[in-house]
Amino acid sequence: MAIRFEKVNFSYGAGTTLAQSILHDVTLEMPTGRVTAVVGQTGSGKSTLIQHINGLLKPTSGRVTVDNFELTSHTKEKELVKLRKSVGIAFQFPENQLFANTVLEDVMYAPVNFGATKSEAKLAAERALTRTGVMRGLWGKSPFELSGGQMRRVAMAGTLSSDPSVVVMDEPAAGLDPKGQGELLQLVLELKKLGKTIIIISHQMDHVVAVADHVIVMHEGRVVAQESPQILFNRDITWFKTMKLDLPKAGQLAEKLRDEGIILSKRPLTLNELADLINAEVSHE
Amino acid sequence: MTQAIRINNLKYNYDDNDTVFDDFNLEIDAGQWLALVGHNGSGKSTLAKLILGLIEANNGTITVFGEQLRIDTVHHVREQIGMVFQNPDNQFVGATVADDVAFGLENKEMPSSDMPKVIDEALTIVGMQDFKYREPHMLSGGQKQRVALASVLALQPKIIILDEATAMLDPDGRATVMATLQNLKQRFGSELTLITITHDMNEAMLADRVVVINDGQLILDGSPSEVFSQCDVMHHNGLELPFVGELAVRLDPKPDGYLDERELIKWLSDLKK
Ligand SMILES: Nc1ncnc2c1ncn2[C@@H]1O[C@H](COP(=O)(O)OP(=O)(O)OP(=O)(O)O)[C@@H](O)[C@H]1O
Ligand SMILES: Nc1ncnc2c1ncn2[C@@H]1O[C@H](COP(=O)(O)OP(=O)(O)O)[C@@H](O)[C@H]1O
Ligand SMILES: [Mg+2]
Ligand SMILES: [Mg+2]
Repeated sequence: MAIRFEKVNFSYGAGTTLAQSILHDVTLEMPTGRVTAVVGQTGSGKSTLIQHINGLLKPTSGRVTVDNFELTSHTKEKELVKLRKSVGIAFQFPENQLFANTVLEDVMYAPVNFGATKSEAKLAAERALTRTGVMRGLWGKSPFELSGGQMRRVAMAGTLSSDPSVVVMDEPAAGLDPKGQGELLQLVLELKKLGKTIIIISHQMDHVVAVADHVIVMHEGRVVAQESPQILFNRDITWFKTMKLDLPKAGQLAEKLRDEGIILSKRPLTLNELADLINAEVSHE
Repeated sequence: MTQAIRINNLKYNYDDNDTVFDDFNLEIDAGQWLALVGHNGSGKSTLAKLILGLIEANNGTITVFGEQLRIDTVHHVREQIGMVFQNPDNQFVGATVADDVAFGLENKEMPSSDMPKVIDEALTIVGMQDFKYREPHMLSGGQKQRVALASVLALQPKIIILDEATAMLDPDGRATVMATLQNLKQRFGSELTLITITHDMNEAMLADRVVVINDGQLILDGSPSEVFSQCDVMHHNGLELPFVGELAVRLDPKPDGYLDERELIKWLSDLKK
Protein backbone atom coordinates (compact mmCIF):
# COMPACT_ATOMS: atom_id res chain seq x y z
CA MET A 1 0.00 0.00 0.00
CA ALA A 2 1.63 3.19 -1.15
CA ILE A 3 1.51 5.89 1.48
CA ARG A 4 1.94 9.46 0.40
CA PHE A 5 1.78 12.78 2.27
CA GLU A 6 1.31 15.89 0.17
CA LYS A 7 1.87 19.30 1.72
CA VAL A 8 0.40 18.14 5.00
CA ASN A 9 0.02 20.74 7.72
CA PHE A 10 -1.39 19.82 11.08
CA SER A 11 -2.33 21.76 14.21
CA TYR A 12 -3.68 20.35 17.47
CA GLY A 13 -6.76 22.38 18.35
CA ALA A 14 -7.02 23.78 14.82
CA GLY A 15 -9.46 26.68 14.64
CA THR A 16 -9.27 27.43 18.36
CA THR A 17 -7.16 30.06 20.10
CA LEU A 18 -5.01 27.28 21.47
CA ALA A 19 -4.01 25.99 18.04
CA GLN A 20 -0.53 24.49 18.07
CA SER A 21 0.95 24.09 14.67
CA ILE A 22 2.95 20.85 14.64
CA LEU A 23 3.50 19.56 11.09
CA HIS A 24 4.65 21.95 8.38
CA ASP A 25 4.35 21.18 4.67
CA VAL A 26 5.13 17.52 5.06
CA THR A 27 5.55 15.80 1.72
CA LEU A 28 6.83 12.26 1.78
CA GLU A 29 6.48 8.73 0.56
CA MET A 30 6.59 5.44 2.42
CA PRO A 31 7.25 2.70 -0.14
CA THR A 32 4.96 -0.33 -0.39
CA GLY A 33 6.31 -3.59 1.00
CA ARG A 34 9.25 -1.85 2.59
CA VAL A 35 10.33 -0.85 6.07
CA THR A 36 10.34 2.90 6.60
CA ALA A 37 11.91 4.28 9.78
CA VAL A 38 10.80 7.64 11.15
CA VAL A 39 13.40 9.27 13.37
CA GLY A 40 13.93 12.66 15.01
CA GLN A 41 14.06 14.42 18.34
CA THR A 42 11.45 14.08 21.05
CA GLY A 43 8.60 16.39 20.10
CA SER A 44 9.60 16.62 16.45
CA GLY A 45 6.18 15.33 15.38
CA LYS A 46 6.76 11.64 14.72
CA SER A 47 3.75 10.32 16.64
CA THR A 48 1.59 13.09 15.21
CA LEU A 49 2.74 12.18 11.72
CA ILE A 50 1.99 8.48 11.91
CA GLN A 51 -1.48 9.00 13.38
CA HIS A 52 -2.42 10.43 9.99
CA ILE A 53 -1.85 7.06 8.35
CA ASN A 54 -5.06 5.58 9.76
CA GLY A 55 -6.97 8.81 10.08
CA LEU A 56 -6.80 9.13 13.86
CA LEU A 57 -5.65 12.63 13.04
CA LYS A 58 -6.65 14.41 9.85
CA PRO A 59 -4.49 16.97 8.07
CA THR A 60 -5.47 20.56 8.77
CA SER A 61 -4.50 21.12 5.16
CA GLY A 62 -2.94 18.92 2.50
CA ARG A 63 -3.62 15.30 1.77
CA VAL A 64 -2.58 11.81 2.80
CA THR A 65 -3.16 8.89 0.46
CA VAL A 66 -2.99 5.25 1.44
CA ASP A 67 -3.35 3.22 -1.73
CA ASN A 68 -6.47 4.75 -3.27
CA PHE A 69 -7.87 6.11 -0.02
CA GLU A 70 -7.61 9.86 0.30
CA LEU A 71 -7.56 11.59 3.67
CA THR A 72 -8.11 15.34 3.98
CA SER A 73 -9.60 17.69 6.54
CA HIS A 74 -13.02 16.87 5.02
CA THR A 75 -12.89 13.10 5.39
CA LYS A 76 -15.84 11.80 7.42
CA GLU A 77 -15.37 9.47 10.35
CA LYS A 78 -17.45 6.67 8.83
CA GLU A 79 -15.39 6.60 5.67
CA LEU A 80 -12.41 5.68 7.83
CA VAL A 81 -13.50 2.12 8.63
CA LYS A 82 -11.82 0.67 5.57
CA LEU A 83 -8.61 2.54 6.32
CA ARG A 84 -8.56 1.37 9.94
CA LYS A 85 -8.82 -2.20 8.78
CA SER A 86 -5.77 -2.01 6.57
CA VAL A 87 -3.60 0.08 8.88
CA GLY A 88 -2.66 -1.28 12.33
CA ILE A 89 -0.88 0.99 14.79
CA ALA A 90 1.04 -0.13 17.87
CA PHE A 91 1.07 3.00 19.99
CA GLN A 92 3.87 4.59 21.96
CA PHE A 93 2.22 3.84 25.30
CA PRO A 94 0.90 0.28 25.14
CA GLU A 95 -1.14 0.61 28.35
CA ASN A 96 -3.36 3.16 26.64
CA GLN A 97 -4.17 0.60 24.00
CA LEU A 98 -5.14 -2.28 26.32
CA PHE A 99 -8.62 -2.61 27.77
CA ALA A 100 -10.10 -6.13 27.88
CA ASN A 101 -10.35 -8.49 30.85
CA THR A 102 -7.75 -10.91 29.65
CA VAL A 103 -4.75 -10.76 27.39
CA LEU A 104 -6.34 -13.19 24.94
CA GLU A 105 -9.61 -11.24 24.71
CA ASP A 106 -7.68 -8.05 24.23
CA VAL A 107 -5.80 -9.43 21.25
CA MET A 108 -9.00 -11.00 19.84
CA TYR A 109 -10.74 -7.65 19.81
CA ALA A 110 -9.49 -6.34 16.47
CA PRO A 111 -10.26 -9.41 14.34
CA VAL A 112 -13.75 -9.69 15.92
CA ASN A 113 -14.31 -6.01 15.31
CA PHE A 114 -13.42 -6.45 11.64
CA GLY A 115 -15.84 -9.33 11.20
CA ALA A 116 -13.97 -12.53 12.08
CA THR A 117 -15.84 -15.27 13.94
CA LYS A 118 -14.89 -15.92 17.53
CA SER A 119 -12.95 -19.03 16.74
CA GLU A 120 -11.11 -17.38 13.84
CA ALA A 121 -10.27 -14.48 16.11
CA LYS A 122 -9.01 -16.81 18.80
CA LEU A 123 -6.73 -18.55 16.35
CA ALA A 124 -5.45 -15.22 15.03
CA ALA A 125 -4.87 -13.93 18.55
CA GLU A 126 -2.97 -17.04 19.59
CA ARG A 127 -0.80 -16.82 16.54
CA ALA A 128 -0.07 -13.12 17.18
CA LEU A 129 0.74 -13.68 20.86
CA THR A 130 3.14 -16.46 19.97
CA ARG A 131 4.73 -14.33 17.33
CA THR A 132 5.38 -11.46 19.76
CA GLY A 133 6.76 -13.75 22.46
CA VAL A 134 3.97 -13.60 25.05
CA MET A 135 4.17 -16.78 27.11
CA ARG A 136 1.03 -18.90 27.21
CA GLY A 137 0.92 -18.58 31.00
CA LEU A 138 0.05 -14.89 30.61
CA TRP A 139 -2.86 -15.25 28.17
CA GLY A 140 -5.51 -15.51 30.86
CA LYS A 141 -4.17 -12.61 32.93
CA SER A 142 -5.50 -9.09 32.96
CA PRO A 143 -3.43 -6.98 30.55
CA PHE A 144 -3.01 -4.45 33.35
CA GLU A 145 -1.27 -6.95 35.55
CA LEU A 146 1.73 -7.32 33.32
CA SER A 147 5.22 -5.93 33.40
CA GLY A 148 5.99 -3.04 31.07
CA GLY A 149 7.74 -5.22 28.52
CA GLN A 150 4.97 -7.82 28.59
CA MET A 151 2.34 -5.11 27.93
CA ARG A 152 4.37 -3.89 24.99
CA ARG A 153 4.32 -7.39 23.47
CA VAL A 154 0.59 -7.84 24.06
CA ALA A 155 -0.21 -4.48 22.48
CA MET A 156 1.91 -5.43 19.48
CA ALA A 157 0.01 -8.72 19.18
CA GLY A 158 -3.25 -6.74 19.29
CA THR A 159 -2.07 -4.74 16.32
CA LEU A 160 -1.02 -7.79 14.31
CA SER A 161 -3.99 -10.07 15.05
CA SER A 162 -6.26 -8.46 12.45
CA ASP A 163 -3.56 -8.94 9.82
CA PRO A 164 -3.37 -5.33 8.59
CA SER A 165 -1.39 -4.71 5.41
CA VAL A 166 0.26 -1.63 6.87
CA VAL A 167 1.86 -2.02 10.31
CA VAL A 168 2.89 1.12 12.17
CA MET A 169 4.97 0.82 15.34
CA ASP A 170 5.60 3.84 17.57
CA GLU A 171 8.82 3.29 19.55
CA PRO A 172 8.11 -0.45 19.82
CA ALA A 173 11.48 -1.28 21.39
CA ALA A 174 11.03 0.98 24.41
CA GLY A 175 10.70 -1.24 27.46
CA LEU A 176 11.81 -4.45 25.76
CA ASP A 177 14.81 -6.29 27.16
CA PRO A 178 17.78 -6.80 24.83
CA LYS A 179 16.58 -10.24 23.73
CA GLY A 180 13.09 -8.87 23.11
CA GLN A 181 14.57 -6.07 21.01
CA GLY A 182 16.35 -8.62 18.85
CA GLU A 183 13.12 -10.55 18.45
CA LEU A 184 11.27 -7.39 17.50
CA LEU A 185 13.72 -6.72 14.69
CA GLN A 186 13.25 -10.29 13.47
CA LEU A 187 9.50 -9.78 13.58
CA VAL A 188 9.78 -6.65 11.45
CA LEU A 189 11.76 -8.55 8.83
CA GLU A 190 9.28 -11.44 8.91
CA LEU A 191 6.37 -9.05 8.37
CA LYS A 192 8.20 -7.51 5.47
CA LYS A 193 8.63 -10.97 3.94
CA LEU A 194 4.87 -11.38 4.20
CA GLY A 195 4.59 -8.34 1.97
CA LYS A 196 3.50 -5.83 4.58
CA THR A 197 4.37 -2.16 4.54
CA ILE A 198 6.01 -1.28 7.83
CA ILE A 199 6.58 2.07 9.51
CA ILE A 200 8.71 2.10 12.63
CA ILE A 201 9.52 5.06 14.86
CA SER A 202 12.77 4.66 16.73
CA HIS A 203 15.49 6.51 18.60
CA GLN A 204 17.84 3.61 18.16
CA MET A 205 19.83 4.06 15.01
CA ASP A 206 21.20 0.53 15.33
CA HIS A 207 17.66 -0.73 14.89
CA VAL A 208 17.15 1.56 11.91
CA VAL A 209 20.25 0.18 10.22
CA ALA A 210 19.16 -3.38 11.00
CA VAL A 211 15.72 -3.23 9.38
CA ALA A 212 14.97 -0.03 7.46
CA ASP A 213 15.00 0.35 3.69
CA HIS A 214 14.07 3.99 3.90
CA VAL A 215 14.45 6.63 6.61
CA ILE A 216 12.46 9.81 7.19
CA VAL A 217 14.07 12.36 9.49
CA MET A 218 11.76 14.81 11.23
CA HIS A 219 12.97 18.04 12.77
CA GLU A 220 10.63 20.58 14.35
CA GLY A 221 7.66 19.32 12.36
CA ARG A 222 9.41 19.23 9.01
CA VAL A 223 10.90 16.44 6.95
CA VAL A 224 14.61 17.19 6.68
CA ALA A 225 15.75 13.98 4.99
CA GLN A 226 14.21 10.95 3.31
CA GLU A 227 16.67 8.44 1.94
CA SER A 228 18.23 5.03 2.48
CA PRO A 229 20.07 4.40 5.77
CA GLN A 230 23.33 3.93 3.85
CA ILE A 231 23.07 7.42 2.38
CA LEU A 232 21.74 9.01 5.53
CA PHE A 233 24.36 7.63 7.89
CA ASN A 234 27.18 8.65 5.61
CA ARG A 235 26.22 12.30 5.82
CA ASP A 236 28.64 14.73 7.35
CA ILE A 237 28.95 14.44 11.12
CA THR A 238 28.03 18.08 11.70
CA TRP A 239 24.59 17.47 10.17
CA PHE A 240 23.85 14.90 12.86
CA LYS A 241 24.80 17.39 15.56
CA THR A 242 22.43 20.03 14.15
CA MET A 243 19.58 17.54 13.93
CA LYS A 244 20.46 16.11 17.35
CA LEU A 245 20.54 12.73 15.73
CA ASP A 246 22.88 9.88 16.61
CA LEU A 247 24.99 7.79 14.33
CA PRO A 248 24.59 4.06 14.90
CA LYS A 249 26.81 3.05 17.83
CA ALA A 250 29.45 1.59 15.52
CA GLY A 251 29.72 4.91 13.71
CA GLN A 252 29.93 6.81 16.99
CA LEU A 253 32.78 4.67 18.21
CA ALA A 254 34.56 5.04 14.88
CA GLU A 255 34.44 8.82 15.35
CA LYS A 256 36.03 8.47 18.79
CA LEU A 257 38.71 6.18 17.38
CA ARG A 258 39.45 8.76 14.74
CA ASP A 259 40.10 11.32 17.46
CA GLU A 260 42.75 8.92 18.81
CA GLY A 261 44.36 8.52 15.42
CA ILE A 262 42.79 5.21 14.49
CA ILE A 263 41.25 5.91 11.11
CA LEU A 264 39.04 3.26 9.58
CA SER A 265 38.69 2.96 5.82
CA LYS A 266 34.96 3.74 5.94
CA ARG A 267 32.23 4.58 8.43
CA PRO A 268 30.90 1.33 9.94
CA LEU A 269 27.17 1.09 10.54
CA THR A 270 26.98 -2.21 12.41
CA LEU A 271 28.87 -3.91 15.21
CA ASN A 272 30.24 -6.63 12.95
CA GLU A 273 31.35 -4.14 10.34
CA LEU A 274 33.16 -2.16 13.03
CA ALA A 275 34.87 -5.26 14.40
CA ASP A 276 36.01 -6.30 10.90
CA LEU A 277 37.37 -2.84 10.15
CA ILE A 278 39.26 -2.67 13.42
CA ASN A 279 40.66 -6.16 12.98
CA ALA A 280 41.85 -5.27 9.50
CA GLU A 281 43.35 -2.02 10.70
CA VAL A 282 45.19 -3.56 13.63
CA SER A 283 46.60 -6.54 11.76
CA HIS A 284 47.94 -4.24 9.03
CA GLU A 285 50.50 -2.80 11.34
CA MET B 1 28.71 3.15 56.12
CA THR B 2 25.00 3.93 56.46
CA GLN B 3 22.62 1.73 54.64
CA ALA B 4 19.99 3.38 52.51
CA ILE B 5 18.02 0.22 51.86
CA ARG B 6 18.18 -3.26 53.32
CA ILE B 7 16.00 -6.05 52.04
CA ASN B 8 15.91 -9.31 53.99
CA ASN B 9 14.28 -12.61 53.10
CA LEU B 10 11.80 -10.89 50.87
CA LYS B 11 8.96 -13.01 49.57
CA TYR B 12 6.33 -11.68 47.22
CA ASN B 13 3.72 -12.89 44.78
CA TYR B 14 0.81 -11.07 43.18
CA ASP B 15 -2.56 -12.57 44.19
CA ASP B 16 -3.07 -15.22 41.59
CA ASN B 17 0.45 -15.72 40.66
CA ASP B 18 3.74 -17.43 40.56
CA THR B 19 6.23 -16.17 43.05
CA VAL B 20 8.06 -13.03 41.98
CA PHE B 21 10.50 -12.99 44.91
CA ASP B 22 11.43 -15.82 47.21
CA ASP B 23 13.97 -15.16 49.93
CA PHE B 24 15.49 -12.19 48.17
CA ASN B 25 18.22 -10.15 49.87
CA LEU B 26 19.82 -6.86 48.88
CA GLU B 27 21.65 -4.12 50.72
CA ILE B 28 22.29 -0.73 49.23
CA ASP B 29 24.70 1.70 50.84
CA ALA B 30 23.80 5.35 51.13
CA GLY B 31 25.29 7.28 48.24
CA GLN B 32 25.49 4.29 45.96
CA TRP B 33 24.30 4.34 42.38
CA LEU B 34 22.85 0.95 41.64
CA ALA B 35 21.68 -0.16 38.21
CA LEU B 36 19.05 -2.88 38.34
CA VAL B 37 18.80 -4.99 35.21
CA GLY B 38 16.96 -8.14 34.21
CA HIS B 39 14.71 -9.48 31.47
CA ASN B 40 11.07 -8.41 31.03
CA GLY B 41 9.00 -9.70 33.90
CA SER B 42 11.98 -10.44 36.13
CA GLY B 43 10.58 -8.32 38.97
CA LYS B 44 12.37 -4.96 38.74
CA SER B 45 9.30 -2.73 38.90
CA THR B 46 7.80 -4.98 41.55
CA LEU B 47 10.88 -4.46 43.69
CA ALA B 48 10.58 -0.70 43.27
CA LYS B 49 6.91 -0.81 44.30
CA LEU B 50 7.79 -2.90 47.34
CA ILE B 51 10.45 -0.43 48.45
CA LEU B 52 7.96 2.41 48.09
CA GLY B 53 5.41 0.48 50.09
CA LEU B 54 2.89 0.58 47.27
CA ILE B 55 2.53 -3.16 47.63
CA GLU B 56 3.20 -5.22 50.71
CA ALA B 57 5.69 -8.09 51.02
CA ASN B 58 4.27 -11.49 51.95
CA ASN B 59 7.28 -12.07 54.07
CA GLY B 60 10.61 -10.54 55.02
CA THR B 61 11.58 -6.98 55.81
CA ILE B 62 12.48 -3.83 53.96
CA THR B 63 14.38 -1.20 55.89
CA VAL B 64 14.99 2.32 54.63
CA PHE B 65 17.58 4.36 56.52
CA GLY B 66 17.16 2.13 59.53
CA GLU B 67 13.40 2.39 59.54
CA GLN B 68 11.48 -0.77 58.85
CA LEU B 69 8.69 -0.46 56.34
CA ARG B 70 5.30 -0.97 58.06
CA ILE B 71 1.85 0.54 57.87
CA ASP B 72 2.77 3.18 60.43
CA THR B 73 6.10 4.07 58.82
CA VAL B 74 5.22 3.84 55.15
CA HIS B 75 4.41 7.53 54.89
CA HIS B 76 7.66 8.66 56.35
CA VAL B 77 9.66 6.17 54.30
CA ARG B 78 7.95 7.24 51.10
CA GLU B 79 8.77 10.89 51.73
CA GLN B 80 12.43 10.11 51.35
CA ILE B 81 12.06 8.40 48.00
CA GLY B 82 11.42 9.96 44.62
CA MET B 83 10.21 7.58 41.96
CA VAL B 84 9.75 7.97 38.23
CA PHE B 85 7.45 5.24 36.97
CA GLN B 86 7.80 3.28 33.80
CA ASN B 87 4.75 4.97 32.29
CA PRO B 88 4.83 8.70 33.06
CA ASP B 89 1.14 9.00 32.14
CA ASN B 90 0.25 7.37 35.45
CA GLN B 91 2.06 10.03 37.31
CA PHE B 92 0.63 13.38 36.29
CA VAL B 93 -1.66 15.25 38.64
CA GLY B 94 -1.31 18.91 37.71
CA ALA B 95 -3.22 20.85 35.05
CA THR B 96 0.02 22.36 33.78
CA VAL B 97 3.59 21.16 33.80
CA ALA B 98 4.48 23.73 36.49
CA ASP B 99 1.51 22.66 38.65
CA ASP B 100 2.63 19.13 38.37
CA VAL B 101 6.07 19.90 39.74
CA ALA B 102 4.48 22.14 42.39
CA PHE B 103 2.20 19.36 43.60
CA GLY B 104 4.98 17.42 45.28
CA LEU B 105 6.41 20.58 46.79
CA GLU B 106 3.04 21.47 48.30
CA ASN B 107 2.89 18.04 49.88
CA LYS B 108 6.27 18.75 51.35
CA GLU B 109 4.86 22.02 52.67
CA MET B 110 7.38 24.20 50.92
CA PRO B 111 6.51 27.93 51.29
CA SER B 112 4.83 28.99 48.05
CA SER B 113 7.23 31.92 47.68
CA ASP B 114 10.11 29.47 47.25
CA MET B 115 8.36 27.35 44.71
CA PRO B 116 8.76 29.24 41.42
CA LYS B 117 12.53 29.14 41.69
CA VAL B 118 12.66 25.47 42.56
CA ILE B 119 10.24 24.63 39.76
CA ASP B 120 12.22 26.63 37.22
CA GLU B 121 15.45 24.98 38.26
CA ALA B 122 14.06 21.49 38.00
CA LEU B 123 12.47 22.14 34.60
CA THR B 124 15.66 23.72 33.32
CA ILE B 125 17.71 20.68 34.31
CA VAL B 126 15.53 18.49 32.10
CA GLY B 127 15.19 21.11 29.34
CA MET B 128 11.44 21.65 29.74
CA GLN B 129 11.36 25.25 30.97
CA ASP B 130 9.55 26.39 27.82
CA PHE B 131 6.71 23.97 28.48
CA LYS B 132 5.83 25.30 31.94
CA TYR B 133 2.26 26.21 31.12
CA ARG B 134 1.49 23.28 28.85
CA GLU B 135 -0.84 20.45 29.75
CA PRO B 136 1.12 17.32 30.70
CA HIS B 137 -1.26 15.07 28.78
CA MET B 138 -0.54 16.90 25.56
CA LEU B 139 3.18 16.37 25.60
CA SER B 140 5.08 13.88 23.50
CA GLY B 141 6.25 10.69 25.22
CA GLY B 142 9.81 11.82 25.81
CA GLN B 143 8.63 15.22 27.07
CA LYS B 144 6.40 13.47 29.61
CA GLN B 145 9.34 11.47 30.88
CA ARG B 146 11.33 14.66 31.37
CA VAL B 147 8.56 16.34 33.35
CA ALA B 148 8.17 13.29 35.57
CA LEU B 149 11.88 13.44 36.28
CA ALA B 150 11.74 17.18 37.05
CA SER B 151 8.96 16.60 39.59
CA VAL B 152 11.18 14.15 41.41
CA LEU B 153 14.33 16.27 41.21
CA ALA B 154 12.51 19.29 42.66
CA LEU B 155 11.83 17.34 45.84
CA GLN B 156 15.51 16.53 46.40
CA PRO B 157 14.73 13.13 47.90
CA LYS B 158 17.45 11.04 49.54
CA ILE B 159 16.70 8.10 47.29
CA ILE B 160 15.73 8.36 43.63
CA ILE B 161 14.37 5.37 41.75
CA LEU B 162 14.08 5.69 37.99
CA ASP B 163 12.16 2.88 36.31
CA GLU B 164 13.22 3.00 32.66
CA ALA B 165 12.93 6.75 32.85
CA THR B 166 14.85 7.37 29.66
CA ALA B 167 13.28 4.70 27.47
CA MET B 168 11.49 7.24 25.27
CA LEU B 169 14.01 10.02 25.25
CA ASP B 170 15.94 10.93 22.14
CA PRO B 171 19.72 10.40 22.32
CA ASP B 172 20.26 14.00 23.29
CA GLY B 173 17.68 13.84 26.06
CA ARG B 174 19.12 10.59 27.32
CA ALA B 175 22.61 12.03 27.45
CA THR B 176 21.26 15.09 29.31
CA VAL B 177 19.50 12.98 31.91
CA MET B 178 22.56 10.81 32.42
CA ALA B 179 24.79 13.86 32.75
CA THR B 180 22.26 15.30 35.22
CA LEU B 181 22.38 12.16 37.32
CA GLN B 182 26.16 12.21 37.32
CA ASN B 183 26.12 15.86 38.42
CA LEU B 184 23.61 15.18 41.17
CA LYS B 185 25.71 12.28 42.40
CA GLN B 186 28.73 14.52 42.52
CA ARG B 187 26.88 17.34 44.21
CA PHE B 188 25.17 15.27 46.86
CA GLY B 189 27.68 12.44 47.33
CA SER B 190 26.54 10.09 50.06
CA GLU B 191 23.34 12.15 50.51
CA LEU B 192 21.84 10.77 47.34
CA THR B 193 21.20 7.11 46.63
CA LEU B 194 20.24 6.28 43.10
CA ILE B 195 18.56 3.21 41.67
CA THR B 196 18.17 3.11 37.92
CA ILE B 197 16.20 0.32 36.28
CA THR B 198 17.22 -0.01 32.67
CA HIS B 199 17.61 -2.29 29.66
CA ASP B 200 20.33 -0.06 28.28
CA MET B 201 23.63 -1.51 29.39
CA ASN B 202 25.47 1.61 28.29
CA GLU B 203 23.48 3.39 30.96
CA ALA B 204 24.01 0.66 33.53
CA MET B 205 27.73 1.09 32.99
CA LEU B 206 27.60 4.55 34.59
CA ALA B 207 26.48 3.13 37.94
CA ASP B 208 28.74 2.14 40.84
CA ARG B 209 27.15 -1.24 41.03
CA VAL B 210 25.12 -3.44 38.71
CA VAL B 211 22.64 -6.00 40.01
CA VAL B 212 21.14 -8.54 37.63
CA ILE B 213 17.98 -10.35 38.67
CA ASN B 214 16.16 -13.28 37.14
CA ASP B 215 13.19 -15.22 38.47
CA GLY B 216 13.36 -13.31 41.72
CA GLN B 217 16.97 -14.27 42.27
CA LEU B 218 20.01 -12.09 42.29
CA ILE B 219 22.26 -13.69 39.70
CA LEU B 220 25.07 -11.15 39.31
CA ASP B 221 26.15 -8.36 41.60
CA GLY B 222 29.25 -6.23 41.36
CA SER B 223 30.94 -3.29 39.73
CA PRO B 224 30.03 -2.76 36.07
CA SER B 225 33.34 -4.24 34.95
CA GLU B 226 32.86 -7.31 37.16
CA VAL B 227 29.33 -7.92 35.96
CA PHE B 228 30.09 -7.24 32.31
CA SER B 229 32.99 -9.69 32.40
CA GLN B 230 30.34 -12.39 32.71
CA CYS B 231 29.50 -12.33 29.04
CA ASP B 232 27.97 -15.81 28.93
CA VAL B 233 25.76 -15.32 31.96
CA MET B 234 24.46 -12.04 30.55
CA HIS B 235 23.70 -13.52 27.14
CA HIS B 236 22.15 -16.58 28.67
CA ASN B 237 19.71 -14.34 30.56
CA GLY B 238 18.56 -12.46 27.49
CA LEU B 239 20.77 -9.49 28.29
CA GLU B 240 23.73 -8.04 26.52
CA LEU B 241 26.95 -6.24 27.30
CA PRO B 242 27.46 -2.54 26.74
CA PHE B 243 28.33 -1.85 23.10
CA VAL B 244 32.10 -1.82 23.68
CA GLY B 245 31.81 -5.15 25.51
CA GLU B 246 30.03 -6.71 22.56
CA LEU B 247 32.71 -5.24 20.31
CA ALA B 248 35.60 -6.59 22.41
CA VAL B 249 34.24 -10.13 22.13
CA ARG B 250 34.51 -9.80 18.35
CA LEU B 251 38.04 -8.41 18.22
CA ASP B 252 41.11 -10.34 17.23
CA PRO B 253 43.24 -10.11 19.33
CA LYS B 254 40.87 -9.62 22.28
CA PRO B 255 41.57 -7.70 25.45
CA ASP B 256 41.66 -9.65 28.74
CA GLY B 257 38.56 -8.97 30.81
CA TYR B 258 36.04 -6.20 30.39
CA LEU B 259 37.21 -2.74 29.35
CA ASP B 260 35.03 0.34 29.32
CA GLU B 261 34.98 2.60 26.28
CA ARG B 262 37.93 4.75 27.26
CA GLU B 263 40.00 1.75 28.26
CA LEU B 264 39.18 -0.09 25.05
CA ILE B 265 40.13 2.87 22.90
CA LYS B 266 43.41 3.17 24.78
CA TRP B 267 44.05 -0.56 24.46
CA LEU B 268 43.51 -0.32 20.71
CA SER B 269 45.76 2.67 20.25
CA ASP B 270 48.54 0.98 22.25
CA LEU B 271 48.11 -2.09 20.09
CA LYS B 272 48.61 -0.02 16.98
CA LYS B 273 51.86 1.48 18.22
N1 LIG C 1 -0.28 -5.67 39.09
C1 LIG C 1 0.13 -6.93 38.84
N2 LIG C 1 -0.68 -7.98 39.12
C2 LIG C 1 -0.28 -9.26 38.88
N3 LIG C 1 0.90 -9.60 38.35
C3 LIG C 1 1.76 -8.60 38.05
C4 LIG C 1 1.43 -7.21 38.27
N4 LIG C 1 2.47 -6.44 37.87
C5 LIG C 1 3.42 -7.29 37.42
N5 LIG C 1 3.02 -8.59 37.53
C6 LIG C 1 3.81 -9.79 37.18
O1 LIG C 1 4.95 -9.87 38.02
C7 LIG C 1 6.12 -10.22 37.30
C8 LIG C 1 7.18 -9.14 37.50
O2 LIG C 1 6.73 -7.93 36.91
P1 LIG C 1 7.56 -6.57 36.97
O3 LIG C 1 6.66 -5.49 36.48
O4 LIG C 1 8.16 -6.39 38.30
O5 LIG C 1 8.72 -6.89 35.91
P2 LIG C 1 9.89 -5.96 35.36
O6 LIG C 1 11.18 -6.62 35.73
O7 LIG C 1 9.71 -4.55 35.80
O8 LIG C 1 9.68 -6.13 33.78
P3 LIG C 1 9.82 -5.07 32.58
O9 LIG C 1 11.26 -5.07 32.18
O10 LIG C 1 9.01 -5.69 31.50
O11 LIG C 1 9.30 -3.75 33.03
C9 LIG C 1 5.67 -10.40 35.84
O12 LIG C 1 5.54 -11.79 35.59
C10 LIG C 1 4.33 -9.71 35.75
O13 LIG C 1 3.47 -10.36 34.85
N1 LIG D 1 -2.75 15.91 22.05
C1 LIG D 1 -1.92 16.94 21.89
N2 LIG D 1 -2.34 18.21 22.02
C2 LIG D 1 -1.51 19.26 21.85
N3 LIG D 1 -0.20 19.16 21.53
C3 LIG D 1 0.31 17.92 21.37
C4 LIG D 1 -0.52 16.75 21.54
N4 LIG D 1 0.25 15.65 21.34
C5 LIG D 1 1.50 16.11 21.05
N5 LIG D 1 1.54 17.47 21.07
C6 LIG D 1 2.72 18.32 20.80
O1 LIG D 1 3.08 18.12 19.44
C7 LIG D 1 4.50 18.08 19.29
C8 LIG D 1 4.87 16.78 18.58
O2 LIG D 1 4.51 15.69 19.42
P1 LIG D 1 4.70 14.20 18.98
O3 LIG D 1 4.16 14.01 17.61
O4 LIG D 1 4.12 13.34 20.07
O5 LIG D 1 6.29 14.09 18.95
P2 LIG D 1 7.28 12.84 18.86
O6 LIG D 1 6.45 11.62 18.65
O7 LIG D 1 8.18 13.16 17.70
O8 LIG D 1 8.06 12.84 20.13
C9 LIG D 1 5.10 18.23 20.70
O9 LIG D 1 5.54 19.54 20.86
C10 LIG D 1 3.94 17.93 21.62
O10 LIG D 1 4.05 18.67 22.82
MG1 LIG E 1 6.14 10.04 20.01
MG1 LIG F 1 9.12 -2.80 34.79
